[in-house]
Amino acid sequence: MGGTADILFGGLFQGSLYAMMAVGLALVWTTIGVFNFSHGVFMMLGAYFAWQLVTWGLPPFLAFPLSVLAMAGMGWVLQASVVRPLIGRSNLVLVVVITTLAAGSLIENGALEVWGPRSKQIPPLVSGNVMLGSIGVSLHQIAIILVTPLALGALWLFLNRTRLGLALRAVAQNEDASRLVGLNVTMLYGLSFGIAAALAALAGIFLGGYRFMSPVMGVDPLLKALIVVVFGGISSISGPIYAAYLIGFFEAIASYYFGLYWTPALLFAALILTLMVKPEGLFTPNRSRGLA
Amino acid sequence: MSAVDTSTPSAVLPKAVPLTPGRVSWQREALALVVGFALLALLPLVITDSYSRHVLIMIFIYGVVASNWDLSLGYGGVFNFGHLALFGIGVYAYSLLTKLAEMNPWIALVVSGLIAVVAAVAVTVPILRLKGIYIILVTFGFAQLVMQVILSQSDYTGGTQGIVRIPTVTWFDHNMVRDAKFAYFYIALAMLGASTVFLRALVRSRTGISIVALRDNEEYAVSRGISLARQRLITLAASAFFTGIAGAFYAAYQRNASIEVFGMSLATIILSMVLLGGTSTIYGAIIASFVLTVFSESMADFGAWRPIITALLIIVVMLVYPSGIMGMLKSASRWMTRSRNG
Amino acid sequence: MTGPMLSVSELTAGYGRITVLDKISIEAGRFGNVGLFGPNGHGKTTLLRAVSGLLKPRQGRIVFDGEDITEATSRAIVKKGLIHVPQGNTLFPDLSIADCMALGAYSPRARPLEDENREKVLALFPKLRERWRQRVATLSGGERQMVSIGTALMSHPKLLILDEPTLGLAPKIKDELCRSVLEISKSGVPLIVVEQDVEFLLELSQHLYFLNHGQVETEIKPGESLGHSEIMAMYFGH
Repeated sequence: MGGTADILFGGLFQGSLYAMMAVGLALVWTTIGVFNFSHGVFMMLGAYFAWQLVTWGLPPFLAFPLSVLAMAGMGWVLQASVVRPLIGRSNLVLVVVITTLAAGSLIENGALEVWGPRSKQIPPLVSGNVMLGSIGVSLHQIAIILVTPLALGALWLFLNRTRLGLALRAVAQNEDASRLVGLNVTMLYGLSFGIAAALAALAGIFLGGYRFMSPVMGVDPLLKALIVVVFGGISSISGPIYAAYLIGFFEAIASYYFGLYWTPALLFAALILTLMVKPEGLFTPNRSRGLA
Repeated sequence: MSAVDTSTPSAVLPKAVPLTPGRVSWQREALALVVGFALLALLPLVITDSYSRHVLIMIFIYGVVASNWDLSLGYGGVFNFGHLALFGIGVYAYSLLTKLAEMNPWIALVVSGLIAVVAAVAVTVPILRLKGIYIILVTFGFAQLVMQVILSQSDYTGGTQGIVRIPTVTWFDHNMVRDAKFAYFYIALAMLGASTVFLRALVRSRTGISIVALRDNEEYAVSRGISLARQRLITLAASAFFTGIAGAFYAAYQRNASIEVFGMSLATIILSMVLLGGTSTIYGAIIASFVLTVFSESMADFGAWRPIITALLIIVVMLVYPSGIMGMLKSASRWMTRSRNG
Repeated sequence: MTGPMLSVSELTAGYGRITVLDKISIEAGRFGNVGLFGPNGHGKTTLLRAVSGLLKPRQGRIVFDGEDITEATSRAIVKKGLIHVPQGNTLFPDLSIADCMALGAYSPRARPLEDENREKVLALFPKLRERWRQRVATLSGGERQMVSIGTALMSHPKLLILDEPTLGLAPKIKDELCRSVLEISKSGVPLIVVEQDVEFLLELSQHLYFLNHGQVETEIKPGESLGHSEIMAMYFGH
């Protein structure tokens, strides 16, 4: 039964990372109506920041949350500098693609200046390995599989059970009406970016715990997250989460039966097929944020 | 564009398109184009070192890619994030055609352009019914697909290693290597010239106007008998041809192909050329490729700071000058005429 | 209080290069409810948007409850108790009625009164109680309008602006809604209403402004009331 365990574990693990990244993209899209192409950078910065704090002697249980918080702040700042001034432009989506891409390149190269190209690693959440059936897995990876639903669940509770979360959902649906009930739309935009960045940072800390970090470590996960939102639709938070796990399992199954060599090609074949049938994504509810 | 009458099907109308007020007549534009390119053609007489000529060649290549992107993005309003993949397809098509199939390099240049057109048609089919962000996502996915396929077929493409020692174009028995890039300069310039004439003729034609009509008011244009699917297909296919040729020429010029042409950094630079130049002008993208490339080269000494400064520049221009460099030039010329008249 | 609750003086506003309001002056709160009428596209909605801070005026002054709110944000204006129910009932399609009511009580002024106001809203619109957990998008047009007005009442308005509350409603539902609006007015909340239905407008408001070309063409105060037929002529004559 090694195959089943492999697939199950691999799917859950990859799905967790994809979900953490994709949900941030979707959150920003639904609230502000822009696509953040510097999202991967928060992942990288989160990992590096945590590494720096640990190197300075902070214990991981302090360093990790601090880094996540710092990235939330970064997200806010980025939003205020390269997104908010552009709101109201007719070609907002396009211009934000370019400003966030440029900001991403700026931060990436800045990180290269500060931390250098040498690979680094941060301590795992939990060290050690266990045997799971016939395969050996690290406790760190198991921790990721368990922490991810907790983080996403916390986000769900925040959005659905708090007044601030309610405000965030309201802004995503109707900006003018939100102003007319007295919501601080500017603050909510910053908040949505901040939460997205914090989740990406958490994913970065996860990734940095079992793989070597580099200033470009956020690029691939961002690309994957983009594919996840193509699959899952982007106008809801839950769609991308389902899609993330679906793709995680798809990859695990494909690579088990067809090998790593063919997995990307198969994934894209599935993607094209999905889009032919349901261009707005698999899990899109019957509404969408208006965009030409 | 609203002043242009698109109410009658194009088939029954004479070719001439009524001029929109403020629009330059095609005779004047053609004259300006000829003069501009003649001046560019004289440059090698002044600029003799091979490094400066290399920078100019890169400007021409980027100019072709960026101005063709402006066709689909600016005029067509279709955000094809896979535009750079068309360039990459040109690179790899040329490399494989000349190296494995031993095709004549000149023929391979053109065939690479045609292969890029086929690829553009293939990516257009899934996005025919899509809008906005979904077009970005799907074309982006397409670019990734192409890259993954090239990476995985490493027996032919060299995978991450890329392809080296690609045959280059030859001109009788002229020595391409020891002329300080004299011949390459003119090939690149000819390519830019042909591409620019093609693009400007297209956007000034009735087809070009119907493409813009679709972008500006889809429902109205469709109700007037313009086919969204057909025009979108034409736009993307047309934007692919010279992009593919530029890729092929790039491979012939560099004599190697690498997967980096699919990377985000090149896409960011070219896209900023399109946006900094100001969309829907064609010329803006070319001017911006000049400005950005020269700017970037002039900072060669800054090392790692170069991409940082470039990124900052892009952000600042996007924030303070939404209409880009062409917008800047336009408002400057308006200001000058006003001060002359007043 | 002797002055008007809201006074707009010499207000100029528009979108881009287009000027919609041209030095318009109105006041509200001194002579009962205010009714705005006039042909479409002549500035009624723009005026309301400027008053509630959605649109920054180019010139002029807006004073509400003794404070200058010309430059204030919508949030600050809502905090002061000037509440605007926009035209159409497309508030928050994916929120439930319960969510909308909670949002209405978002501003600090309204929060302590949340339970009390909710009871008032439910007494006024008992239908909303039945559909309490339903998404707004699944409601009928009339019910959605009730949600819009209910949300505004949750903000505990000192002055309530209603932009075409009965637009597109079936006659029976319209009557029901009109009665509810009259009830709100009777409970002591002054109103500014834009309305196409002449009968309803005349029943509801004592102080009328006829807006044309971004200006007040005719002002009708209580006592100097014009004949019904003259008002009808204004409605349809232009």
